[in-house]
Amino acid sequence: MGVNLRPPSTRGLRAARKALLGVVGLAAFLAVWQLIPTLGLINSQYLPYVTDVAARLSEESRDLAFWRRLGSTLTAWGIGLAVATLAAVVLGTIIGMVPFLRRATHTMVEFLRPIPSVALIPLAVLMFGIQRQAALVIIIYASFWQVFVQVIYGVADIDAVARDTARSFGLTRRERLSHLVMPTALPYVMTGLRLAAAVALILAITAEMVIGNPGLGRMIELSRSAGDAVGLYAFVVVTGLLGLLVNIVFRFIERRSLSWHQSVRGEEVL
Amino acid sequence: MLDRSTLLRVERLRKVYESANGPVEAIGDINFTMHAGELVCIVGPSGCGKTTLLKCLAGLLRPTSGLVEMHGSPVTGPSPAMAVVFQEYGRSLYPWLTVRGNVELPLRHKKLSRAEREKLVTDALEAVGLGHAARSHPWQLSGGMQQRVAIARAIAYQPEVMIMDEPFAAVDAQTRADLEDLVRELHATRNMSILFVTHDIDESVYLGERVLVLSKSPTWVQEDLAVDLPAERDQITTRALPRFTELRTHVYDQIQRAKRGDAVAAQPAH
Amino acid sequence: MTAQTSRITMTRRGRGVGSRIVGSFLYAFGLPFLLLVVWAVAATRSTNRFFPDPLTIFRAFVDTWIGPAFVEDVLPSLYRLGLGILASIVVGVAAGTVIGLVRWLRELLEPLLEFFRAIPPPVLIPVVMLLIGITDTMKVVVIVSGAIWPILLNTIEGVRATDSVMTETANSFRLTWWERLRFLVLPAASPRIMAGVRQGLSVALILMVISEMFASSSGLGYRIAYFQRNYLIAEMWSGVLLLGLVGVFLAVAFGLVERRVLRWYHGLREVSRA
Repeated sequence: MGVNLRPPSTRGLRAARKALLGVVGLAAFLAVWQLIPTLGLINSQYLPYVTDVAARLSEESRDLAFWRRLGSTLTAWGIGLAVATLAAVVLGTIIGMVPFLRRATHTMVEFLRPIPSVALIPLAVLMFGIQRQAALVIIIYASFWQVFVQVIYGVADIDAVARDTARSFGLTRRERLSHLVMPTALPYVMTGLRLAAAVALILAITAEMVIGNPGLGRMIELSRSAGDAVGLYAFVVVTGLLGLLVNIVFRFIERRSLSWHQSVRGEEVL
Repeated sequence: MLDRSTLLRVERLRKVYESANGPVEAIGDINFTMHAGELVCIVGPSGCGKTTLLKCLAGLLRPTSGLVEMHGSPVTGPSPAMAVVFQEYGRSLYPWLTVRGNVELPLRHKKLSRAEREKLVTDALEAVGLGHAARSHPWQLSGGMQQRVAIARAIAYQPEVMIMDEPFAAVDAQTRADLEDLVRELHATRNMSILFVTHDIDESVYLGERVLVLSKSPTWVQEDLAVDLPAERDQITTRALPRFTELRTHVYDQIQRAKRGDAVAAQPAH
Repeated sequence: MTAQTSRITMTRRGRGVGSRIVGSFLYAFGLPFLLLVVWAVAATRSTNRFFPDPLTIFRAFVDTWIGPAFVEDVLPSLYRLGLGILASIVVGVAAGTVIGLVRWLRELLEPLLEFFRAIPPPVLIPVVMLLIGITDTMKVVVIVSGAIWPILLNTIEGVRATDSVMTETANSFRLTWWERLRFLVLPAASPRIMAGVRQGLSVALILMVISEMFASSSGLGYRIAYFQRNYLIAEMWSGVLLLGLVGVFLAVAFGLVERRVLRWYHGLREVSRA
């Protein structure tokens, strides 16, 4: 704000400055974290030294059991995301394309969607105990809606002129689906997929924490109950890095799939 | 005309931008003065730095060197003595405020009683013929009406000079003629000083008492032309006058020369 | 004669409206009713005790929640939820505005915020428990620690993207600092802020439930987990139903507020789409 006194510097310089500031910010955060227990502001039993947490992280990364747990979490995440996406795309396309179904299901969708998926945890436990299926119920329920809603938006977005054109040329239902509906809805599906991937990870880890099926979430809960603060913080950092990775990868996929689209839509669609 | 006091004085104004390929001289050396109650049009070839000049005058951009004076005191930032009407009315009016709210906004920090403020707003809206639309939102109005709102906002602000940056470039021809007459009318009935930047040669001759023709970048004032058309102007009769045709042909030639850069040799030595 | 024709058209229109209302009603409640009936029939025929019939659940709902449990479990939960959401919005929007306006601060914090946003919020529960202990404050802090990120990041993004011409307009009319905030920056960012709040609401609800399942002896989450552990199936279902209702209520309330706050935005979009 105000009159811009600085001459606009070159793009490269600005990017370098940004990267540098980012690194400084990160370093400052780690330094403050280290300082708080050092100065005794918070007992290191509750907030362990960052150096200890880092040491634990490198120790874990050399432990096969750690990777097995990570794999366990990612398996539940992957299966849940795949099933939810498939179901949401199929159901969303059918319901989105048939006005009668869209109107008839509207209330159901509006009621089911806001139900917090974690409310289903007790039910899932009753049905499946501490097996992976219990976690999958929660993951699928939560991520399904993210994709489903986007598919409905996407199918509704089909250009009226394009649809009439397709009709007038006598395209079959199958041809219309593959040449008109899919390309229009694809960017929406990708946005839904990105949101669903993040939600699925959250619930995969939550389920492990609450239900107790093996994975990173269970390790967090075990560290907590064992009073192992260093382990707890280390695993929390791992879940954060995992979340970051998922966000970056799926944002990249979304960008790639949208590059041909005239407008890369913002976050508001959520 | 001697009693007319000097309102705006621009002396040796220069603006250099830093860019990736080294400094770019947008404005070379601009000198002119404007008297109170004048309507001065500034025309120039596209890309000649009209908008840069205007931002320097309005105190939105700091010149590299040179002087802008209002009533003998230098302009270093946005001044209460100036009100700007931007070309992009859609982005200059705030869509979350009503028409009245937009006009009233700059008056909020002026020390006015509520009644005075109300009166100024109502009066300004009446002046542009929008008294009936006060409670609408800008986006509910046509482009021409939106620009009228922006003009009303400038009027209500009670500036000494109204600076207009290609205000009618984005409206259709019919609306444009109406808006031009509105500007003439405000100038005549309210004795407003107006600095009007445009790329339209006919518009500059039709509106102005003086036309400043700018050279191509780095810009200087190539010609300061007095428009000796009668003060009472009319879209049909004025534009049909032989003198109007002469003047517009003259300005047109000047712009052509400016585009070719022929006029550089004629630059007066300082 | 004119009067007569107009009356005829009016009755005709009236009948049209009537049948349309019946139609919408059927569309709105037809499928849910059908599903309830199917569920009821299936429940009476099957021996699966995990799926009691709707009437039993409804009776359990009335018995469990309407009475002292409402005051002991539901109200405290909702109170903590409301407090957490409110604090998230206030802190998130305030901090987001500052960070969004100051470029070096934004660049300094961006990677950190990206990381914190990516942490699955429920893993913060044990951390907050460790730092604060098991108290009511802890549950509110847990809700804030998860719900604040989408609000904060969306506010930053919205504030940062304030239109350049709008800012220039504010400059040229010498708006004061406060006027800019009130009439330019916050309204311009409001669509993004609302999108962030919507995400924050669902996170907050999840965290309310989980934190109570984890570390509490009262509250909705605790009750539901308790019913499940003691095989009180119908009661547990009634709890799931209640949580669903809370979720629906939050979504409806948000929708109402959003429509009010962003009326200009939806109007603008409609106009520009036409």
